[in-house]
This record gives sequence, structure tokens and C-alpha cells, in this order.
Amino acid sequence: MEGNIVMAAKLIGAGLAMIGAIGAGAGIGIVTSGAVQAMGRNPDATGTIQTNMILGIAFAEAVAIYCLVVALLILFVVG
Amino acid sequence: MTKTTDVTPKKKGWRWGTNRWIVLGLIILGLFLLTDFFGAGLNIKPIRPFVQLPAEHWSEHPLFSTSFLGIGDFYLTNTLVALFIVMVLVIGLAFWFNRAVQNAFKKNDLALKGIPGALEALLEGLFNMTQATAGKWAWTIFPWFAAITLTVLLANWMELIPGVDSIGVIEEAHGTGYAVQPLTAGIATIAMPEVAEHGSHLIPYVRVVSTDLNFTVALAIIAVVAVQVIGVQAQGIGYFTKFWNVKTFFSKPIFGVIDWGVGLLELVSEFSKILSFAFRLFGNIFAGSVLLFVMGSLLGSIVIMPSIFYMLEFFVGAIQALVFGLLTMTFMAQATQGHGEHEEAH
Amino acid sequence: MEQLGLNLGYLLVQIICFFIIFVVVRAWIVKPLRTMLEKRRAAISQSMEDARINAEARAAAEKEAAKIIAEAQAKAGQVVREASERAETAAKDIRAAAEAEAAKTRESALAEAEGERNRMLGDLRGQVAALAIAAAQKLVGEALDEKRQHALINEFFSGVKSGKVIILESADLAGTAAEVTSALPLTSDEQEIVKKDVLAKMGKQATVAFRVDPSILGGLIVKVGDKVLDGSVVAQLEGLRQSLK
Repeated sequence: MEGNIVMAAKLIGAGLAMIGAIGAGAGIGIVTSGAVQAMGRNPDATGTIQTNMILGIAFAEAVAIYCLVVALLILFVVG
Repeated sequence: MTKTTDVTPKKKGWRWGTNRWIVLGLIILGLFLLTDFFGAGLNIKPIRPFVQLPAEHWSEHPLFSTSFLGIGDFYLTNTLVALFIVMVLVIGLAFWFNRAVQNAFKKNDLALKGIPGALEALLEGLFNMTQATAGKWAWTIFPWFAAITLTVLLANWMELIPGVDSIGVIEEAHGTGYAVQPLTAGIATIAMPEVAEHGSHLIPYVRVVSTDLNFTVALAIIAVVAVQVIGVQAQGIGYFTKFWNVKTFFSKPIFGVIDWGVGLLELVSEFSKILSFAFRLFGNIFAGSVLLFVMGSLLGSIVIMPSIFYMLEFFVGAIQALVFGLLTMTFMAQATQGHGEHEEAH
Repeated sequence: MEQLGLNLGYLLVQIICFFIIFVVVRAWIVKPLRTMLEKRRAAISQSMEDARINAEARAAAEKEAAKIIAEAQAKAGQVVREASERAETAAKDIRAAAEAEAAKTRESALAEAEGERNRMLGDLRGQVAALAIAAAQKLVGEALDEKRQHALINEFFSGVKSGKVIILESADLAGTAAEVTSALPLTSDEQEIVKKDVLAKMGKQATVAFRVDPSILGGLIVKVGDKVLDGSVVAQLEGLRQSLK
């Protein structure tokens, strides 16, 4: 019974850790929206915009990845 | 109607196309296998996957054991097998490409055909990106970009091959597992129903190498170290003033201290680069393969649904490979340019 | 670390494997790709250069052709212009000759016709005088002597009295050409008198032309420039009629 409570807490903790992905999701959405608008306004600059967009997405995604790392640590490493 | 005047229309294959019938046949086959299909089907229920973070071992006993650097027991893991497959593929492709290019030169023909041509188109696109970002350092940076992108691309796409992650050794599970159903001599399968005690789970022979943290961390360390190496190549020892910036420490009262602090943050960010590189690739592909398993077990009966996730994973694999390479390339290009001193850098 | 599966041994193996891949990619993919891209760039710039040279050659040839065509057109234009000028000159000459011929013919015809008329009128003069004298003898009843009668008649027709032109006596004329009109042709003596009188008034260089117009009935009209000295019978009759009104 005790073990099950610890397990449940771990699962809940991992789930809570992934809340941080909200920010990354919103960030990626904003980056892509801006990039798509820019591409619509200036199709000639698509290549540069795409590269920078991917970079921006990668940085925004990094936050979500830290969340994922924490969740994985909680699930598999802690305890 | 005589033979001379009668113009018969050219025969045009099957009127309704062929690919759609192949797809329909596969759907029916799936329905036959996975549902009872009006009593005729085999009604095999897809099992839920066994998710394990570290790579599984092929053998009971380690290949060798050493106390050197605390390595300990070294097993042959299924991700290492996948890495060797990727190596063979990349080296084979490289050999093929090289031979195709040499042949093309011999024939004085500057266009490649087939897979070398496709590879060349991809690499040329990557090179154009490199040149746009890195300028004269493009040819120094490009081999890293190409090698990382090709390796990660092939590694990621391996998860789409049937049999990867689903053919292996059946082992006894520690917790809940599935019942073993022998098919023929030496070959068995595990299938529903779930059993709480003495069940079994599958240890696949090949597991996608990107789902092993060792691979992604190794790539990330290589990438970040290579960034530093290229920075030193481009700017000499002055590159490290980026991390220990005391140039303006005394000349500017407050901002000098801030610059020094920023330099320390740069140092921290180099380490966080390793972390984000490694976990981005690992997280995406690990989550992708788990997703494919889970969707297969949940939506397997709706036969066409998992194929959509295969398409998604195809896309994610390509994007992650590109992002890994592109970020490495961009960091390298940034390292070749001085920190606010562009005259010195060029 | 154990739970994440991270292990230094695996890490080293992965790093070594990646370096093998890296070396192979650099040797067998990047190097051929670089050679290929450079060759392709060279080929493209070569063909661009060729195309540029071709374009230049074509442009030069086109310019040359345009020049030749322009020259030919200019030459053709000149030839046409010369031809048309020559033709125009020839046509003008022909027309002028024809006009001159026509004018000469007309003049000679007119002169002939006038001479003929004057001759006929001159022939008539004697008869008219005889008739007039006869009529006057019948009316007046007494016969003037023959000589006087003729003098009167001549005076009537020529407007010349005792060697003098009547109308010129009180006039002063200035001009270079005078035209003298009489009802009947003047005799050469009368013409001499008239000429002498007119020239005396106008100077030696002036010319005198004689015309015949029966409608003035008698007397002389002398026209110099825009000045008309009217000594005709018609004018005298008109003056009489005006005064009788």
C-alpha cells in the first residue's frame, strides 16, 4: 500500500512536471505564426525565415525538453 | 469493321488505379488479423508495450567487464545493434555516392541519378543553408552538419521499419506481462490476455538508436565540443574570452561586471546545449516510438489509424535530424564570428 | 544514471562510431560533393561566359546588319530623291517649253488676228469717211471743200488736230509706257505725231503702244500707268448727256 502511494505520487509528479510544456507549446505557436506571416509578406526571404524559425522553435522546445527530463527522472530514476 | 480501319484504343491498365486497391487489400488484411471480421478473423489483440528507458541487453552475460573508468559490465545492447546498422547504411550510402560521383566525372556528366542524386539534392540544400549562415567557414562546418543529419535521419527512420522494436527475445517480466503462445518450433509470440504473474515481455533485437540516451548524449557532446574546436580554429585562443570576459571589467564600472557575468552564463549555456541537444532528440524519438506502440495497441482495430502516426513519425524523424544538424551548424557559425568583434573574426 | 541507461562505455562506443561515420562522410560524401559543386559552378560560369560571348557576337552582328540596312536605305532614298528631282526638273522644263510654245502660238495668233482686224478696219476707214462726207453733204447742203472735209474726218478719228494731239495739250504725264487707243487704226503719219507728242511729255525712254477699239467711236484715249486721258467721242457724248440732264 505504501509503495502504491509512492508510485501514485511519482506519476502525479511526472504529470505536473510536464505542465511546463504549455509554455513551450505556446512559444512554438507564436514563433510559427510570426514566421508564417513573415513568409506571407516576403516570400523571397522564406529560406532565412525558415532557418531562424526552426532555431526559435528549437529553443522554445528546449524548455519542454527540460520538463520531459524532469518527468523521466521522476518516473525512472527517483526512488 | 475491317482490320485496317479499326483503331483500337491503347490499353490503359486498370481503370480505377492500382495503389488504392493495394491499400484496400491491406486494410482488409488488417481487419482479418486484428478483429473477428464477421467470425472469420483471427482477432489478435495488439498488446500494450513494455516501456523501458535503458537499452535492453542481447545476452545474459556481458561481452566484457572492466573497471576502467567505471565502465563495468559491457553488454551488447539492441541500440548498439541499431547503431551498427546505421553505420553500415551510412557507409554504404557514402560509398555508393562516391562511386556514382566518380563515374559521373568519368563520363563528364555533372548530374547524378537515383539515390545518389536524391542524396546529392538533400546535401546541396544543406550546404546552401550552411553557406548562407557560415560564409567562408562553410566547408569546415558542413561535414559535421552532413554527418550528423545523415546519421540521425537514418537512425530516426529506422523506427518505421516493421520488425524493429517488435521482433526479439521473449523474457519473463518482473511485473505484469503477457502469455506466451508458441507458433512453430522456436518461434513464439506474446499476446493478450495480460497475466499478472509469470507473464512475459519482448526484448527486441533492434531498438532505434535515438531512443538510447547514450547515442544522443554522445552526439550532443561531440557537437558542442566540435563547436568549441571550430571557434578556436576561427578566432584562436581569443575564443575563450567569450566565457571569461574581463576586457571591460575595469574600463566600464558596472557593465564590465555584467559582461563578465554574461560570459559565465555563456559557459553554462554550453552545458545546457548538451542537455537540450541530447534530450530533444531522445525525447522526440522515444516518445515517437512509444506513441507508435500505444496507438497500435489502442487503435489497432481501426486499421488505418496507426498509419497516420507513422506519417507523423516520418515527419518528426526528418525534422529532428534536420534540427540537430542545423543547430550544430548555427552554433558553429556563431563560434566562428567574434563576440561583437566581427573585424577580428573575419 | 543507471536508470537512464547512461554508461560511459556505451557513450565511448557511440562517440567512436560517430567519428567513423564522420570520417567516412567527409571522405566519401563531402569531398565528392565539393568537387562536384565546384565543377558544376565552373561549368555554369563557363556556359554563362559562352552565352555572354555569343550574345555579344550576335549583338555586334545585329548592329552591323542594322548599319548595312540603314546605309542601303539611305542610298536608296538618295537615288529615289535624285531620280524624282531629275524627273521633276525634266517635267518642269517640258512644261515650261510647252507653255512658252503655247504662249508664243497664242501671241502670234492674237497678233495675227489683231493685225487682220486692224487691216480690215483700216480698209473700212476710207469707205466710212466717204459715207460720212456724203451723209453730211446731204444734211448740210453745202459742200465743204474736199481737203477740209478729210481733215475734219481725220481729226474725228485720230484726235490729232493740226499736228498736235488735242488731249495731251494740257496734261502732264509721267511713266515709262503709254497705251494709245483709237476707234480706227491710225495712219503711220498720225502714229508718228501721237508718238512724238507723248514722248515729248514723258521723256525719250518711254514706249508707246497703239490699240484699236471701235466702241469708243472716235478720238483717243491715252493711258499711262494708272492715269487715263479720255479724249474719246463716247466720253464727250457721255459728258454732253450728263450736262443735258
